[in-house]
Amino acid sequence: MLSHAIFVLILPLVSAAIIALFLRRSGGIAAAVSTLTAAAIAVIAVMLALGNARFTAAYEWMRFGDFAISLGFKFDDLAALMLVIVGIVGLCVHVFSLGYMHDDAAKARYFGGLSIFMFSMLGIVFADNLFMMFIFWELVGFSSYVLINHWHEKQSASDASKKAFIANRVGDFGFLLGIILCYWLNGTVNLTELAAKGDAHTLVFSTLVPLLLFCGAVGKSAQLPLHVWLPDAMEGPTPVSALIHAATMVAAGIYMLCRINVLMVPDALTVIMWTGTATALYAALCAITQSDIKKVLAYSTLSQLGYMVAAFGLGSMAKDPDPNLRDGLIIAAGVGAAMFHLTTHAFFKALMFLGSGSVIHGCHHEQDIFKMGGLRTRMPLTFWTFTIGVAAIIGFPYLAGFFSKDAILYLAFSNNKAVFALLALTAVLTSLYMVRLWKLTFLGTPRSDHAAHAHEGGLTLTLPLVLLAVLSLVAGYTAFYPKVFSGVFDHIPEAHGSAHFIIFLTSVSVMAIGGTIGYFFYKSTPTDTLADKVPGLFAVLSALKNSFDGAYDYYVAKIQQRFALFVNFFEQIFLAGLIVRGLAGFVGLFGLGARALHVGNLNAYVYWFLLGLVALWLFATGVVTL
Amino acid sequence: MTSATLDHYVLISALLFAIGFFGVLLRRNTLVVFMCLELMLVASTLALVAFSRFNGTMDGNVFVFFILTVAAAEVAVGLAIIVALFRKRHTIQLNELNSLKN
Repeated sequence: MLSHAIFVLILPLVSAAIIALFLRRSGGIAAAVSTLTAAAIAVIAVMLALGNARFTAAYEWMRFGDFAISLGFKFDDLAALMLVIVGIVGLCVHVFSLGYMHDDAAKARYFGGLSIFMFSMLGIVFADNLFMMFIFWELVGFSSYVLINHWHEKQSASDASKKAFIANRVGDFGFLLGIILCYWLNGTVNLTELAAKGDAHTLVFSTLVPLLLFCGAVGKSAQLPLHVWLPDAMEGPTPVSALIHAATMVAAGIYMLCRINVLMVPDALTVIMWTGTATALYAALCAITQSDIKKVLAYSTLSQLGYMVAAFGLGSMAKDPDPNLRDGLIIAAGVGAAMFHLTTHAFFKALMFLGSGSVIHGCHHEQDIFKMGGLRTRMPLTFWTFTIGVAAIIGFPYLAGFFSKDAILYLAFSNNKAVFALLALTAVLTSLYMVRLWKLTFLGTPRSDHAAHAHEGGLTLTLPLVLLAVLSLVAGYTAFYPKVFSGVFDHIPEAHGSAHFIIFLTSVSVMAIGGTIGYFFYKSTPTDTLADKVPGLFAVLSALKNSFDGAYDYYVAKIQQRFALFVNFFEQIFLAGLIVRGLAGFVGLFGLGARALHVGNLNAYVYWFLLGLVALWLFATGVVTL
Repeated sequence: MTSATLDHYVLISALLFAIGFFGVLLRRNTLVVFMCLELMLVASTLALVAFSRFNGTMDGNVFVFFILTVAAAEVAVGLAIIVALFRKRHTIQLNELNSLKN
């Protein structure tokens, strides 16, 4: 089984290498290579997960004295679940890309990018220690950068890719510090060894370690305040948004938190919980005013990621944790709920992103929902699959999102009522903006020529939609999953009795309230109904959305840029001017003087000779001393 | 007529040396400059012989032998250089021998 794991990790790297080295000009073959690779990954991933083999293995990669970096596999139920998600969503996105990117000029680069992304993501999934995870963490950042920047001739795309990379760097710096601190305290960053130490009560805890590691998740999973890159990342091709910026890479932050749950301490969990809750609510508020179909989905992704982070932070179901019980056990429920929501979200959000890709493709790259409308009859398959996705995310009873969101709400209900209230409010907003998006896009009459002439794409565009729609229908039933994921799904909190009734009622009513407002308030008009009727609220929400970008713009332009100017001035004057140029100038000046002595006349040299003789004489007789 | 004293010899030696020295400084013809150099050597030789004679020791004379040997070698090499230079450049005027400068 280990050989399968190694094979599945190396395969996309080989594919990317082949495409980069030999297939740069032949996009069609590159697409085939990359898609076949993705198919192989999906098949082997499912085989690995269903086969009951769970193993760890490590190979030493480099050694510096006592310190060694190893590359290893930790394949447990958590990794198996993530592997299956990455494999299935990856395959769907590859197939969808065949149709969506069919006429792209740089198809080879695109599919090479997808392959290198698959490699990096699988590296994170398999990583058995934090250093290895960090390496692949940076690699997904790089592949995300490459793919956002795919249409690099567009200024906005190249800006967005830089923004994504830099925002991630900020978080990754904290992540790296956290890894180093963890190594310093515990002498190991191997996940299995850390867990063993936790069981043996020899683990050294520090609030700083989980918080610094959480910084990495804040960057990668786009939590407040580093969320700014994700909406801009929508400049990339839509399948990329589905794969990287909705289903897998941004979920890597949650996955990483679940990996390091043994290191968690209560204070850190509180911070994580509130960060997640704030992100969920903030992003949901921002999503209401968006007019770009992908931006709505991007903010929705942010909001759902906030849900997962909050679920993780909420921790255990135990009301009064046994003080002897270490935190690894305490937050099992949080891990279960977060990973459950991650799983369902990966399917329905990938479905909606691919659905939006299908819409954008059908409408000739029109992304403004106010210029769409009436697509229900023109793109029926996209409409129905998208409807399933919307129903799943807003928590329509007995669809995927309903179960996972209920698990989180129940966890919040029993642990922290304030978080529960905020998450319920977020759920109202979620169904509001999702129904708004759905209605404006698919119902009513077309509001532009592109929408009027919209058409369904080919089989490559629709097949992934159908597969993901089926998964969105059934992914919420934990009984549906094979027993092989029990290591994760056994921890999902399930409400019973009166609590079950309260949660069910809350969940259905928030969905109904939000959905009803969304459906009846918004009219199929070319302008935003909210902006027309309540311009004040619209302005407030827009300002809320722009507040972070504005603050960062101010910081970069006014503070950082000035500091950079000062440092540059110092460098120019002191280092370059005084030390480097000054030294060169001194030597040059000396040379200028020395050159004047070289007159080319032998008689003049005799004078110099005489002068030297006199100087020597003066020195020798002691008239002049040094 | 009084006999010659050490002062006379040193005076003549100094005069010869000065003539040679100013010749080196001022003349433009390499051959003349070379002859002036020889003149300076001979002036010092004269002074040394005079010192030797008046001190009654052989030290100065020994020096003279060495100087003569070196001067002979120097003349052979120097003249050879000047002849070669003239063949090459068709001039031995110092102010025209400045190709390193330009």
